[in-house]
Amino acid sequence: MLDQTPTSIIKARDLHKCYWVGTMPFPALHGINLDIEPGEFTVLAGRSGSGKSTLLNLIGALESADSGSIEVLGENILAMNQDQRTRFRLQNIGFVFQAYNLIRVFSARENVAYVCQLQGKGKKESMEIANHWLGEVEIGHLGYRRPDQLSGGQQQRVAVARALASEPKIILADEPTANLDSMTGRHLIHLMQDLNRRLGTTFLISSHDPDVKQAAGRLIKLADGQIVDAWDSIPKPPISLASACPVGNLPLTERLRNYFREMRNKVRNKKRHGNTRRHS
Amino acid sequence: MSRSITALNSTILAVALRNLFGHLRRTLLTVGAIAVGLASLIFLWGFNEGLHRNMLGNFQNAIIGAVQIHHQGFFQHPELSRAIRNPERIVAGLEQAGVSRYSRRLETFGLAASDSTTQGVMLIGMDPTRERLVTELPKRIGIGHFLQPGDEYQLILGATTANNLQVRLGDEVVIIGYDRYGAMVAESFTLAGIITSGEMGLDSGMAITSLSTLQEMVDLPDQVTTFVINVEEKRIPSLVDQLDHSLQNESLEIMPWYSMFPVMKEWETLHNGFLYLFIGVVIFIVLAGELNTMLLSMLERTREFGVLMAIGASRRQVAMMLLAEAMSIGVIGIVSGILLGYVIILVTAEIGIDLSILLGSTSRFYVDPLIYPHLKLDHLGVTIGAILLASLLAGIYPAWRASLLQPVEAIRNG
Repeated sequence: MLDQTPTSIIKARDLHKCYWVGTMPFPALHGINLDIEPGEFTVLAGRSGSGKSTLLNLIGALESADSGSIEVLGENILAMNQDQRTRFRLQNIGFVFQAYNLIRVFSARENVAYVCQLQGKGKKESMEIANHWLGEVEIGHLGYRRPDQLSGGQQQRVAVARALASEPKIILADEPTANLDSMTGRHLIHLMQDLNRRLGTTFLISSHDPDVKQAAGRLIKLADGQIVDAWDSIPKPPISLASACPVGNLPLTERLRNYFREMRNKVRNKKRHGNTRRHS
Repeated sequence: MSRSITALNSTILAVALRNLFGHLRRTLLTVGAIAVGLASLIFLWGFNEGLHRNMLGNFQNAIIGAVQIHHQGFFQHPELSRAIRNPERIVAGLEQAGVSRYSRRLETFGLAASDSTTQGVMLIGMDPTRERLVTELPKRIGIGHFLQPGDEYQLILGATTANNLQVRLGDEVVIIGYDRYGAMVAESFTLAGIITSGEMGLDSGMAITSLSTLQEMVDLPDQVTTFVINVEEKRIPSLVDQLDHSLQNESLEIMPWYSMFPVMKEWETLHNGFLYLFIGVVIFIVLAGELNTMLLSMLERTREFGVLMAIGASRRQVAMMLLAEAMSIGVIGIVSGILLGYVIILVTAEIGIDLSILLGSTSRFYVDPLIYPHLKLDHLGVTIGAILLASLLAGIYPAWRASLLQPVEAIRNG
C-alpha cells in the first residue's frame, strides 16, 4: 500500500529507472518521491539528462519503472498492461511534446478532433469540440490549415488544444517552449497558465526555460535523476551503478549475451586448468 | 457507439488515403506497377482464352462437334454392328432438350482405290443439309464443292489423301468396304470436292459421302452410327446430363468433345497452369514492391505512430491504419489495372492479333493466325483476388511492426 496523501493526483514513491545502452547502464531516475495536487501548475526543472522527460514518461504511463510505485488518479499505472495504459492515457492524460508532433496530413481541427474520435465520439461532435478548444487557444480561425501551414507557436497551440480536447485531468508537457522563440514561448506559457486557472486542469511541465520556471506555481528541481531542494545542493549519489541499475533489469538480449559469455569463459577456464594439471 | 466506430474507421481510412496522396510519386509508382502487372495478366488471360476458343472452336467445328452420341462402345470399336437402331428416339430427345443444331452420320472404315494406288480411309456418310448446322466442313473445301442434297455417289477427300491417290476433281474413286453382314462391297464414286484445310486430321484419312449413299452401300437404311451436336461450351455438361437422363434406356454413349479427345482439354489445362505460374511471379513482384513502399511509409512515420499511441490510439488502430493504406494502394492499382487491361482487351478483340508472322503453320493445330482475345470473369476474379491478397500481405508485416512500437522509443527515434 502506498503512503496515502488523500488530495494527491500524482504520487510517486522511490521511483527508479535505468536505461541500458548495450551493457552500459545509465541511471535516469534514482529514488524519486513526488506528490502533485489537483489543479497545480508544476514545472519540472533541470538540465538536459537530469531525468525530467523520463519522469514525465513514467507518470504518463508511456514507460515502465524498474522499481517503485506511481499512482495517478488513484490508479497504480505500473500494474497495468499496454492496452490498459493506452486507455488510461486516452481518458485521463493529455500530452504536449517539444516537437508539436501533429499529424501532418490532418488539418489543425482534424488533429484535435482525432483524439475525441479515439474516445468514441462521432465525427460531428468531435469537430465541434475541436472548434471549441482551438478557440480556447486563440487559433479558432486557423482550424482548416495543415501543420505545415502554421508557425511553430501556432502548431504548439494546436498541440495544447489536442491535449485538452479529451478533457483530461492532467496535462504533461515535455519542453513545450524549447522549439519556440522566447516571445512565442512566453505567450504559450501564459495561455497554459490561464487554462490551468480557468479549467482547473493539472499541468506538469518539464522545462529548463527560465520563463517557464518563473511562471511555475510550484518548481521541482531535478539533478542527476533526483529531486533536489536547491541547484547548489549536491544530489546523493547512488551507492553504486549496480544498485542503481540491477542486472535483472538488463534487456533480455543483453542477459543472454552475458550468459553465453560466462559459459564460454567457464569452458576456457576448465580447459586451461585441465592442461595445467596434465603438465604438472 | 457503432456510428462513432464507423467514424473512427473512416478517419483511419482518411489518414491512409491522405498519406498516399502526400507521397504522390511513390504512390503512383507502386499503383502503376500493380496496374501494369494486372493489365498484363488481364491481357494474357484474354489472349490465352482467345487462343483456346479459337483452337477448340476450330477443332469442334472442323468435324467432331461439341457432343457426339453413339451406340454404347462404338467410339472404341467403330463397327457397323454398333449402329444406332432407333435414331428417331434420339432426335426426339434432342428436340426435347432444345437442341436444334445436330446432324446424323454413318461411319465405317474402307479402302479408297484409284487407278494407281489404294489407301485406307474412314468412310463418313453425312447429311449435306444438317451438317452445315454443326460443323464448318463445307467452308474447308478448297477445290470443288461440298455435298449437295440429292448428291449420289459423290465423294469428298482430304488434300493429302487425294494427292496420295493421285486423283483430281471429277475422277473416279472406288471405295471398298464391308456391309452390315460383313460381306465385302465396292462402289464407284466421283470426286466432287477436296478439303484443303492444312489441318492434319482433316486432310488425310477421310472420305466423305452423303448419308443416304453410304446407308445404301452398307445396307443400313435409316440407320446411323453417330449424332453430332453443336452447342455452346458452357452448356455441354448440363446437356450431357440431360441426355444421359432422357436417353438412359437406349444403350448409348453421350460424349462431350473432351471425353473423346482428352488431350485437347489437358492441353488447355496445362496452358492455364503456366498462366497461374506467371500470376504467381507477378504477384510476388507486386508483393515485394508494395511491401517496400509500406515499410518505407512505416519507417517514415514511426514518430507519428508513437504520438498516436501516446495520445491514446491502440496498437490495433495503428496497425489498421497501415493495413488500410496497403489495401488502398491495392484497390487503386486494381481499378487502374482493370481499366487498362479492359481497354487493351477491347482494342485487340476488335482488331485481332495476327500471329501469321510468328507461326507459319498454326492451322496444323487448328489455330487461325488471327487471335481475338476474350476475357472470362472467373479468370479476372482469381487475378484480382490474388492481387488483393498480395496487398493485404504487403501491409501485414509493416502493420505488425508498427503495432509493436513503444511510444517513447518511436517518438525519440522516429
